[in-house]
Amino acid sequence: MTGTLEVRGATFAEAVRAALEDAMRDDDTIVLLGQDIVVGFPFGVTRGLSDLYGPARVRDTPISEAATMGCGVGAALAGLRPVVEVDFSGFLLLGLDQLVNNAAKLRYMTGGQLRVPLVVRVGQGPIGSFGAQHSMALHGWLANVPGLAVCAPADPQDAYDLMRWALTQNDPVVFAEDMRLYRAKGELMLREPPSEVRAHVVRSGGDASVLAFGHGVRLAMQAGEQLAAAGIEIDVVDLRMLAPLDEAVVAESVARTGRALCVSDDPLHGGFAATLAVAVADLAGDALRVPVARLGAKHAPAPYNGELEQSVYPSVQAIETAVRALCGRSAD
Amino acid sequence: MSSLAATRETTLALYERILLIRRFEEAAYRRYEQGEIAGTIHASIGQEAVAVGVISALAPDDTVFTHHRGHGHALAKGVDPGRLMAELFGRRDGVSGGKGGSMHVADVECGFLGSFAVVGGSIPLAVGVALADRVLARDRVCAVFFGDGAVNQGVFYESLNLAAIWRLPVFFVCENNGFAISVRNDYATGGDGICSRAAAFGVPAEAVDGQDVGAVRDAAARLVDHCRSTGPTLLECRTYRFMGHSRGDPPHGLYRSQDEVAEWRERDPLVLQAAGLEPEDVEPMERRVAEAVGRALAVARSSPPPAVDDVTKDVWG
Repeated sequence: MTGTLEVRGATFAEAVRAALEDAMRDDDTIVLLGQDIVVGFPFGVTRGLSDLYGPARVRDTPISEAATMGCGVGAALAGLRPVVEVDFSGFLLLGLDQLVNNAAKLRYMTGGQLRVPLVVRVGQGPIGSFGAQHSMALHGWLANVPGLAVCAPADPQDAYDLMRWALTQNDPVVFAEDMRLYRAKGELMLREPPSEVRAHVVRSGGDASVLAFGHGVRLAMQAGEQLAAAGIEIDVVDLRMLAPLDEAVVAESVARTGRALCVSDDPLHGGFAATLAVAVADLAGDALRVPVARLGAKHAPAPYNGELEQSVYPSVQAIETAVRALCGRSAD
Repeated sequence: MSSLAATRETTLALYERILLIRRFEEAAYRRYEQGEIAGTIHASIGQEAVAVGVISALAPDDTVFTHHRGHGHALAKGVDPGRLMAELFGRRDGVSGGKGGSMHVADVECGFLGSFAVVGGSIPLAVGVALADRVLARDRVCAVFFGDGAVNQGVFYESLNLAAIWRLPVFFVCENNGFAISVRNDYATGGDGICSRAAAFGVPAEAVDGQDVGAVRDAAARLVDHCRSTGPTLLECRTYRFMGHSRGDPPHGLYRSQDEVAEWRERDPLVLQAAGLEPEDVEPMERRVAEAVGRALAVARSSPPPAVDDVTKDVWG
């Protein structure tokens, strides 16, 4: 619906689909590659796109993650703009050689001759008792790879805008879709792709900055409501992109609040919250009144049992407790 | 000598191209031993007829991917020897600006889409290029060279299958030099050989004497035709590496006998191809090639290093 504005309610999954549909209409070099994408299993994101754009552009692949990713890379450097879908990030590991050794490095290794305008959609995070191999969150690993950009949208509008943006880039973009968000609803405006992606301050407050992305933003917003009731006002920064990081927005928020909590769903040891915490410390300098705090996953694979699973990942309550500690305002 | 290669002009041209690769790599290896070239290099000496025979059967617009032992494929595809040598020297005028090195050479203008160090890693890229060619209605074949070591990588089979089900114009070329570094192919590869593995995917395959450039060229021409009109094909070229895998591996190695090496050296592609030539045919080619390699070394030595300020250029965005 390019050139037209339309506001309607949509789920996160519908928003990703709308972005693909609109971008594919504008750019016939966009092709989709992945398993079960013609019928749109399991989350319905690509449902119907084959009917609209035909089997040459919406291609079911065999269960061959390595060759599919490599095929996406090869097609990207030869004039197409492929979107490779990997339903669950545990399966991305099979395609990681092609993503990291080829997609991320080809432009550099060839002195800028080859470009890889590839978008990799990957479902990640715990979705509820799917077990350890369906529930990984690889954004921290991928943000560590020079040559990859990593998007992590938090709501339907963000998913739409970031996907439209990703499909205008000439270098590879990993589009991390937190599976807990697929059914989340919000307003959706179909519009032209943004020319750049900045972090957003989605809640303003002067007492502490909560830096989050994806599902973590929803948790932080809920924590913000509860904290406000107790007289603590937080800034919630939706990072939107993990690589490159919007340092200016992070620095501005932390300079204003002097306190920072970094939230991520991967394990703390070597995880993205650690990277973020050090970036905050570097950027904030003397503005920090207390050391940066962080929340991440416990050091365990995702457990099957629901109660155990919930105990592994950051929660609204954990964010509230951590912010209170930062502010020296325990609930007791 | 076979039919396509039978004209005298072709025989001379193929010989000269093999000679260029041979002398280029001999010079590069000496410069490496003298410390002018850093890191590691993998010479294809002994295997040149595979690169020359296959690439001579491609159309100019067809594209090529290769592996870590890829200088020969680059030169056969028309990469400038000076810019290739400058890349080995890590200089600014190298084809990859000094950021790629011996194992990451590419020259898009020539349709040489690059050499890759992860064994088998470039195979699915060829499937992707061929897919793009089909979707964008370009009449091109994408040839991908890989060694016998790569046939035990899973991604090779995933790629054969993908090319087969989508009938893509991918020309798979297995350069079987008998060894994955020190491990013999007949030890590491089960079943009835590489061609039978392709056949299992419905991909037509032939094996050929990789030392005979005419035979390679003929077989490649047949299979490339089929590829262009119908779908993927595979050519296994049986060849031999006269040098070690890299510097840490002496030419005669601990894993093969001097007799075995000597036997294969009798089937040096230059010797076989020279059979129909006179000394007066060869002498001017030797002179031209020596001049070309000398010029390449001069280009490499006179090229400045890449700017340190550019070290994070061409990463993303």
